[in-house]
Amino acid sequence: MKKLLAIVMSISLSAVMLVGCGGQASNAGGATEDSAKGNASDAKIAVVCDAAGQNDNGYNQSAAKGAELCAEKYGIETKVVEPTQSIGDTLSQLAEDGYNLIFSMEYDFDALINGEAGGKPIAEMYPDTTFVVFNATPNVDEAGKTIHDNVISVLYNVNESSYLAGALSVLANENQDVLFGDAYKLTKPDTARGLGFIGGSDSDGITVFSVGFIEGAQKMAGELGVNYDFYAKYDAGFSDSATGSTVAGTYYDQGANVVYACAGAVGDGVTSKAKEVGKLAIQVDANKDDQQPGFVLTSVIKNTEVVVQSMTEALTDGKLGDFDRITTYDLGSGSTTITDLATISQHIEQTDAAKTKWQEIKDKVAQLQSDISDGKIKVTNTQNGDTFDPSTCPNISIK
Amino acid sequence: MLNSILYDCIYHSAPIILCVLGGCFAYKANVLNIALEGMMLNGAFVSVLTYFLTGNMLITVVLTLLSALIYGFVFSYFGITLKGNVIVIGLALNMVALAIAGFVLVLMDSANIIIQNFDLNALKIHIPLIENIPVIGHMISGHPIITYLSFVMIFLMYILMYKTKFGVYVRVVGENEEAAKSIGIKTSFYKYAAVLIGAIGCALAGMNLSLERLGLFTNNMTASRGFIAIAAIYCGQGKPVQSAIYAILFGLARSLSVNLSIFAGNAAGLFDCIPYLVMMVVLSMASYIKHKPIKERGYKVNE
Repeated sequence: MKKLLAIVMSISLSAVMLVGCGGQASNAGGATEDSAKGNASDAKIAVVCDAAGQNDNGYNQSAAKGAELCAEKYGIETKVVEPTQSIGDTLSQLAEDGYNLIFSMEYDFDALINGEAGGKPIAEMYPDTTFVVFNATPNVDEAGKTIHDNVISVLYNVNESSYLAGALSVLANENQDVLFGDAYKLTKPDTARGLGFIGGSDSDGITVFSVGFIEGAQKMAGELGVNYDFYAKYDAGFSDSATGSTVAGTYYDQGANVVYACAGAVGDGVTSKAKEVGKLAIQVDANKDDQQPGFVLTSVIKNTEVVVQSMTEALTDGKLGDFDRITTYDLGSGSTTITDLATISQHIEQTDAAKTKWQEIKDKVAQLQSDISDGKIKVTNTQNGDTFDPSTCPNISIK
Repeated sequence: MLNSILYDCIYHSAPIILCVLGGCFAYKANVLNIALEGMMLNGAFVSVLTYFLTGNMLITVVLTLLSALIYGFVFSYFGITLKGNVIVIGLALNMVALAIAGFVLVLMDSANIIIQNFDLNALKIHIPLIENIPVIGHMISGHPIITYLSFVMIFLMYILMYKTKFGVYVRVVGENEEAAKSIGIKTSFYKYAAVLIGAIGCALAGMNLSLERLGLFTNNMTASRGFIAIAAIYCGQGKPVQSAIYAILFGLARSLSVNLSIFAGNAAGLFDCIPYLVMMVVLSMASYIKHKPIKERGYKVNE
């Protein structure tokens, strides 16, 4: 009997805790019905972070910052949630509480689009709430038709920004004599030319970075008539920074001077290694150039702040319907790009020759950027289903 | 190529060896310390955080070891004094270590702790003469001090376990606690000591992994090395030298998977499987051999 009582009590206790974890305000119910019109007064937006949390110096933090700015600008209610329960429960609870624009940063769309455990899809249950998901297009059926009208998929053309990173890497490497001083121990181009890439998982979401990077490197290597070796590892995971460091170490040993890391915390190990051996690394997601100042060549930025702000603005104007159900942010939008190179600029040689050369390189990159925006250069986008053909990159030998 | 495989083998072995050596005593004292992972993460976290805040290596080492002892005491108090289930307590500590680090990172509003102006190369010790020997020189020379300590500890721990009264008592307590009690051995004391030795080993492992090698901390950076250590302890049956050899095997496999990716790409990741395969074979062989005599005797009796 005692045992039974204990079980009942612990179950009820955990149920209470689960409900508590959502941490939502009480007045659910009524709010949802009239919130659909999206007037400034009753607009409420929420950002649901992924597992990295809102202090990730990048993807989530940028979205949270966007929400914060919106709260100031439009005086609307915003909420940033780090889910402690399933993503489906979090989304439905927020919708229930009357949030009419919900950004879900998590790469998990099943509950939202298809419904979980036989339940109705959340998007269908709350037709008046607009859900925004990132980095994938789960909201189209096999015929290519939009399933739920109230779900917007946001894609970033990170292949384009990676292209710039690739071009910059080759230019920096070829001009290393002029640009980089004694603090660096770069391999001379006449000994070996190499680039490295470390990805967290072997998926379209990661190869979209590496393929852009290869094509950008090819562009410059082709123009200069030089050949590069390309070393890549796609199963580095996202947390083991020590392994990231040693993998980068082997690439640097092989003569690579730049290693590009798209693998979360693993990338922090890569920049640490770059500093240790006096070479260069490229980071992703946010401006992490000052992580190891002088040894991070640039960062490929995926800015979620702009997305949150522009969609919230549309919500307050009642124009959310104007967004395509698959909205792509490309180089031109400023949401994805490489950094302004301010940090590395302070670490290149302070001679006139170096300054002139560096300006030349920056101009070249800016030129490529506008060519991509104008559509003169087309970069393969594996995320959209393009396939990459290595034979288009004869100057890069992929190991 | 061979040079960097051997160097990286030592690199990746060291933290596992330290965990293994610490864990061996707890294993022998029959309090399996499953919290090696959490203790190592704690060591990594406290060492980088302290150095980040103070910039003083001495304070860093002292605080890191102290924090490890706290973990050790918590584990021992609940597991030995209160006789709780050590697996559950160990799991809890693993989660607590992760959560504390995560919480502090949120407070710091950062995804990592990176020590700027920290010269990793200054921590590397280049051994004169030996570093000039081809192959071996590159393999042995140029590691930070805790890495060397880990290999020295293999022998120290062997001596402590087999050649001292303390080691004998720890093993007696583990093999038959009642018998140990009956001759007046303070069993709890030896169990506590065994766990605390493990905690110190893990703290050093964490410090080696984060502060000495990278100069930074990212959450969950230990990436299951503590559990690999537990596997190595089981394979080596808690004997320091044998268990350490398994730890080195893990290090070698990791090193191969890292270095050969230059030639084999993703397929090199398969090397990560080798230690697990070896482990399965070893454990099943060990179990087979252990039970074999009993079966034979049973067979004879039946006849």
